[in-house]
Amino acid sequence: MIRRLLKGAIGPKDNDSRFLLDVHRRDMPGQDTMARYQDSDEVDLCIVGAGAGGSVLAQRLARRGWRIVIIEAGPFWHPDEDWVSDEAGSHPLYWTQERVIGGEDPIEMGKNNSGRGVGGSMVHYAGYTPRFHPSDFETQTLDGVGADWPISYRDLKPHYEEVERELPVAGQDWPWGDPHSYPFSPHPISGPAQTLWNGALELGIEMRVGPVGIVNGTFGNRPHCIYRGFCLQGCKVNAKASPYVTHLPDAIAHGVEVRADSMAVRVEIDESSGRASGVTYVREAEGGERMQRAKAVAVAGYSIETPRLLLNSTSKRFPHGLGNDDDQVGRYVMVQGAAQTAGRYPDELRMYKGPPPEVSSEQFYETDESRGFARGFSIQTVSPLPIGWAEHVLADGHWGRAMREYMRDYNHWATIGVLNELLPRAENRVTVADDTDAYGMPVARFDYTHGENDKANMEYSTKVITNILKASGAQDILTIHRYAHLVGGARMGTSPENSVVNADHCVWKVPNLYISDGSVCPTQGSANPALTIMALASRLAERLSAAQDIR
Amino acid sequence: MIGRYPDYDVLANAEHWDDATRSVVQARLEPPGPLRFFTVEEEPTLRAFCDVVCAQDAAPRVPVAEMVDDKFASGRLDGYRYANMPRDPETWRHVLRGLDETAAQYHGVESFAACDAQAQESIVTALSNGELRGGAWDELDVSRAWSVCMRAVLAAFYSHPWAWNEIGYGGPAYPQGYMRLGPLSTLEPHERSGATAEDPVRVEQERQS
Repeated sequence: MIRRLLKGAIGPKDNDSRFLLDVHRRDMPGQDTMARYQDSDEVDLCIVGAGAGGSVLAQRLARRGWRIVIIEAGPFWHPDEDWVSDEAGSHPLYWTQERVIGGEDPIEMGKNNSGRGVGGSMVHYAGYTPRFHPSDFETQTLDGVGADWPISYRDLKPHYEEVERELPVAGQDWPWGDPHSYPFSPHPISGPAQTLWNGALELGIEMRVGPVGIVNGTFGNRPHCIYRGFCLQGCKVNAKASPYVTHLPDAIAHGVEVRADSMAVRVEIDESSGRASGVTYVREAEGGERMQRAKAVAVAGYSIETPRLLLNSTSKRFPHGLGNDDDQVGRYVMVQGAAQTAGRYPDELRMYKGPPPEVSSEQFYETDESRGFARGFSIQTVSPLPIGWAEHVLADGHWGRAMREYMRDYNHWATIGVLNELLPRAENRVTVADDTDAYGMPVARFDYTHGENDKANMEYSTKVITNILKASGAQDILTIHRYAHLVGGARMGTSPENSVVNADHCVWKVPNLYISDGSVCPTQGSANPALTIMALASRLAERLSAAQDIR
Repeated sequence: MIGRYPDYDVLANAEHWDDATRSVVQARLEPPGPLRFFTVEEEPTLRAFCDVVCAQDAAPRVPVAEMVDDKFASGRLDGYRYANMPRDPETWRHVLRGLDETAAQYHGVESFAACDAQAQESIVTALSNGELRGGAWDELDVSRAWSVCMRAVLAAFYSHPWAWNEIGYGGPAYPQGYMRLGPLSTLEPHERSGATAEDPVRVEQERQS
């Protein structure tokens, strides 16, 4: 009851980012006075990637006195000038360097699932921040599919709670998985979300507002959301959480250097000791390789770039790439099915207003044998802007005059989507292609093919959201089949034969090399991965600071 | 542009946008320069294709061809390439060549641009269904080539304020924000209601029956 009364008033204890931000300017506070290390300085930790995993790890350990450099391929953003309220103008936020996609069901990369620059993909994620369910950590035991994690939900729970206070997460009390409440109250919802929720209720499907990492109220110097609808284009308001506003300001205030425009090309290994000795990188403006020395290295480049970096880091000791003696690196990469169905209504709904993430349901998250497949899916309202909406219309087969007619009708439509838990498969993997990038480094190739369980799950869930639209009074319906999110590729496990890292994120056979991003996840549930990636990094920081010998 | 929102101009609210957004959006209204990536030989077919798929049959046009050209001239990629496909810029070149070959083969004219409107529509219908074969098409996965081209076309056309006016979209809203989220009202002071609210799909179905 006391927690309820204090909603919106409880902040995290050990993270001052919200107070360090400027009320009137969006530049990173402290960028100009940030610590600078020499390549020859043997820092305590060199992290590759300034996204969800790398930033949380840096912030935690910097507070414990570690000297840290983060190497980031993309730019250091100045959001007032660099970010725009515009779909096409937001292209620079995405990882648009070449990647090859193959397999029977190739996954499109880029704007939908890959970020570049300080803050990482969370700069342009929608903002949904659900936890994984306890069952996600033991799907092999419970359902005979996927894999068991070497850690349990209980290990992550305190970190989920801490990160939820830091983002902060706003939403209704959560009845699914491990029931919990959120530090901020639910946002008011828009007409389209209300319409879709009514349809769900007609069918007996429970939905709840949130959970979203979007400020509802004020939070330090971060203002209330202004419902402009551009969460996926980078939040110029500072209301939506990303490491750029939630962890990096505090990290920099505690001595972390974020070295932007620097592409890591290799993790170096001392051939005599077998330990990581630093990271070789190329600065965009300069060219030529440089090497940052470090006592330990953490790779946080996400499910495509992390395996790519490990595979490209070959040495006499690791001729097939770091941690890849047992051919595990790059395997079990997962995406979530993310079909979206839209309905047409008599009134103007104008779905572009309000955050795209509003109301969601995890009623179908767990296995129900009567459905004919293992595991499940979640349901979430979404709201594509004009270019995204045109892709929906095209996916339904319309171009030319028909497309223009559908598009003219944009304001009458509302959209709901699913996230399917697609199962991990060893052959869904990242390898290196023959093509090389501007730094001469072989690019990643990602092959992906669905299993039968995946197809059954996607087919069933599309029917459920279509029924929600019908029950809500939709006059016409459009469906687009698509995918979202990435995890896996360097999963944690119990031995080098079944994984790349151990329960403490340490790469097998390289005692001071860690992986701190979504690629360590052995399963994905049907939850958006951002919160879990941050919680895993938070737990890793706790484990590292306990293991004093590294430093 | 005419239609659903005849008296609406999203640019009337542009003074309330932040500077960075305003300059990005207003730059799209500048007269487009000459093509830099596509050749003089490719230009007529490029323009004809962009006109057909966007149903732009009269001036003023959203300069879709120039916007696609600018994307490739400036080396902007989307972040992936299908293993069985060339890079996007080469895919476009193959598609333009294929359109000309198909026009010559089935309609007896030297290029896609020289076809009448009906022939152009039928060729694009076959392209959208992945049904074209022979010559340049055999170097592509035709369905994927269609999606590669349309991805660039849609991103260009629906980034233009004229297209936003046509669909009644409220546009950028920082620092102003949106306040009327519904359900009681969904209209900000700068927005306009549609002149009609009928479902165009139903109208079309009734017309055909």
